[in-house]
Amino acid sequence: MSNEPAKLQLTGGEQRRVVRERLYRHLLLLCASVTVVVTGSIIFALAFDAVQFFEMVDPVDFFTGTTWITDRGQFGVLPLVTGTLLVTVVAGLVAIPVGVLAAIYLSEYASARARSVLKPALEILAGIPTVVYGYLALIYLTPFLRTLGIDLGTFNVLSASVMVGVMIIPMVSSLSEDAMSAVPASLREGGFTLGATKFQVSTGIVVPAAISGIFASFILALSRAIGETMVVVMAMGLRPRMFDLSAPLSSLQESGQTMTSAMVQAVTSDVGAASPTYKSMFALGLTLFAITFAMNYLSNWIAERYREEYN
Amino acid sequence: MAQEQSAGSGQGFAGDSGVSRIRGRVFEWLTLGATVFGLVMVTALLAYVFNDAIRPFSADPLWHLVYATTVVLPALVLLATYYTSDEPAGEVAIASTGIPIVGLVAGSGLVVLFIELLTPADWFGLVVGLVCAAAVVRLHQLTRPNAAVERLFVIVLAPLLAITGIPAMNIQRTFSSPLTTTEIVTIDAATPSLLPSVGDVLRPLLTAVPGWVLLVAAVTLPVATLFGRQVAARRGDGRGVREVVVGSVGLVAVGSLVAPLFGLAPQHWVLLATTAVLPTGVYLEGVVRRRTGVLGVAFPIVLGAGLVLGTALTNAFGLAGPSSWIGWDFLTSPTSITPEDAGIYPPLVGSVLMLVVIITLVFPIGVGAAIYLEEYAPKTGARGRLVELIEINIGNLAGVPSVVYGLLGLGLFVKGIGLDSGIVIVGGLTVGLLILPIVIISAQEAVRAVPDSLRRASYGMGATKWQTTRNVVLPRALPGILTGTILALGRAIGETAPLLMIGAAASVRLAPNGFFDKFSAMPRQIFAWSSEFDPDFRFGVLAAGVVTLLLVLLLMNGTAILIRNRYQRSD
Repeated sequence: MSNEPAKLQLTGGEQRRVVRERLYRHLLLLCASVTVVVTGSIIFALAFDAVQFFEMVDPVDFFTGTTWITDRGQFGVLPLVTGTLLVTVVAGLVAIPVGVLAAIYLSEYASARARSVLKPALEILAGIPTVVYGYLALIYLTPFLRTLGIDLGTFNVLSASVMVGVMIIPMVSSLSEDAMSAVPASLREGGFTLGATKFQVSTGIVVPAAISGIFASFILALSRAIGETMVVVMAMGLRPRMFDLSAPLSSLQESGQTMTSAMVQAVTSDVGAASPTYKSMFALGLTLFAITFAMNYLSNWIAERYREEYN
Repeated sequence: MAQEQSAGSGQGFAGDSGVSRIRGRVFEWLTLGATVFGLVMVTALLAYVFNDAIRPFSADPLWHLVYATTVVLPALVLLATYYTSDEPAGEVAIASTGIPIVGLVAGSGLVVLFIELLTPADWFGLVVGLVCAAAVVRLHQLTRPNAAVERLFVIVLAPLLAITGIPAMNIQRTFSSPLTTTEIVTIDAATPSLLPSVGDVLRPLLTAVPGWVLLVAAVTLPVATLFGRQVAARRGDGRGVREVVVGSVGLVAVGSLVAPLFGLAPQHWVLLATTAVLPTGVYLEGVVRRRTGVLGVAFPIVLGAGLVLGTALTNAFGLAGPSSWIGWDFLTSPTSITPEDAGIYPPLVGSVLMLVVIITLVFPIGVGAAIYLEEYAPKTGARGRLVELIEINIGNLAGVPSVVYGLLGLGLFVKGIGLDSGIVIVGGLTVGLLILPIVIISAQEAVRAVPDSLRRASYGMGATKWQTTRNVVLPRALPGILTGTILALGRAIGETAPLLMIGAAASVRLAPNGFFDKFSAMPRQIFAWSSEFDPDFRFGVLAAGVVTLLLVLLLMNGTAILIRNRYQRSD
């Protein structure tokens, strides 16, 4: 619009501008509201069929049942929930310590040069498609863990969960690092002045000061692990198995099923669109959506609520 | 986790002053170990994948020796020289090698589109239609400058009518109540074709014109004009546009006459030249004119000459290369029950078509939303709270599992609108919604990074908000927006779970020819291969598929980084 001044009209131009400005504002607002529509339609699309599912299957049976055999009409979600939790816990055991330590290194110890290489490199890990991670877990990681002497089935919980853990390391590390970098240098300097070592400053001052951001990153990463699909579908097998408290380790060596992989199994098996198996997918999806949405919200809330405000 | 154990023993020698130094050292190494843990593990696993896919050790050792001396050694020597003595040349070396490669791959994507989806005449009609529409809008602007609302209709309707015309419509649909499935109303209506599109009008006239001429007019010319403007702006003279347009159209046209001698169809040459040769030429022009790092141009030349020399030598001595699973056959044939014949062409086309849908859907909406949230949205009051909720909602949407988006696509597009399951448009829409929040968030960052002083200067000169946004903020934020979008597209190309949910086919023998065809995508095909038990599939074909996917991703991310670096330097 560089030629605007040349044909500037003193009368009438104002009105036209106001209309145009308002028009574009509303168009852009429309774009932004698409995201709200998406959330609404997710809830609607899932709830619509989930309600039909709960007409066929008693919600109490669904949420308290301990067997998930869709062919026999047994829709107890607990085996899937424990399967999901098992994956999440093991993935968290891998990702949380590694991610936090990596964040401490990147924020406190790394030279500018090392940081400029390692940080994007870690983010590349987050950009690898999950189907590739699933393939790595199935074809390479499981045989490798076997050579270490761990007795594993072809499909097993352990290698799938470790792979999910590796996959979510960057989420923990990059968000925690952001939180640690935001801790003002004056706090560190105060620590050094009091004679603290770098180790003491890092673990005793920076980490506590950034703790809300660090916890927020844990929750986000775990919510990602809960919703992870391809790795568990490919490497963990499709047999729903209730977590066995008497032999917790053996659960890791065998196959299992999560909520996400049950959904994939339901959609890839040839069942009619009216069958409870097909509808169960939406009930699972709704549960999953509610859990992850709540976790994301919680993460946001913790980061806001417990943020230590400096300066 | 051997590192953690060593940390434990480190803390074991608790003592006094010397101890804390050891403890600090051990801790530092521990944190470094944690940082590289995931990297080392994934790199090691990917090394196995590449080994299985390419099988480098199946080649003659002499073959390796020849290429090491003709390609690798000179390249390393050059890079070392750049690194130690001439850093800008290193950047030029990487860019002038990367641009043609990225251009070739993007051009191959276009070639695929022209093979599977449209003819040169279709595309020519589309471009002419758009030009006509632009002319109509301009005319409206001149004759009725004050009618802003009317103009919005013209802006929307003119391109639509130019591209589609008013085709014959035949609607036949029964609406029934969702719960009881009783029929409510049945619509059965047919309208005759009222207005032909510009393409339809032109098509009979174009039958005699060779395809490559149309492509030169409808692909090379617009691209060259864009580059010409860039060159003219950089040089600050008026001749840039004409020089670039004449030069590139001439080059491409002459090339199309020569290309058949090398076994390349003229149409394909036009596309590849436009995406690879033109940008490289424009980039090199800039390098030569700036006179910094000109030596870097030697790198791609040495690399190319080394490849030619190496190929000549290996052919002359009959040295066998690796019997790799990836090759031309793999990229151009459909999957098969025999691993040796299996290829990835139909899913590759499916992924490309899906990307086209995603780009046209997500880019405008995502950028529009980001601009609204950063430039227009009220920050205070009740409406400010609402906007804050929208922002939180976008953050949360980015964290919704991809499999749930798949269910959304299934519920909304397949069961709701009634599209077929597993067709390109459903896949594109579903994955598009999935990456929409990511695009918005990255575009917001890019818009936020535009310094406020620019906006104030623009307002100070009397520009309105929209003029400022369009002429000042958007051009400045565009590289950042592009970087973010390309990264998000990389995410889109690797998504599998949503495709499973919307019923994308495991393997298709024929590549999709339109947006309403059944399709498979690369990750979907990889997943299908992973359930094969033949070791040749498990370790060979599967590895080749994964490597193809990763290479495409690598190129996309590399392009994003190239754009970002150029943009940062010009600041």
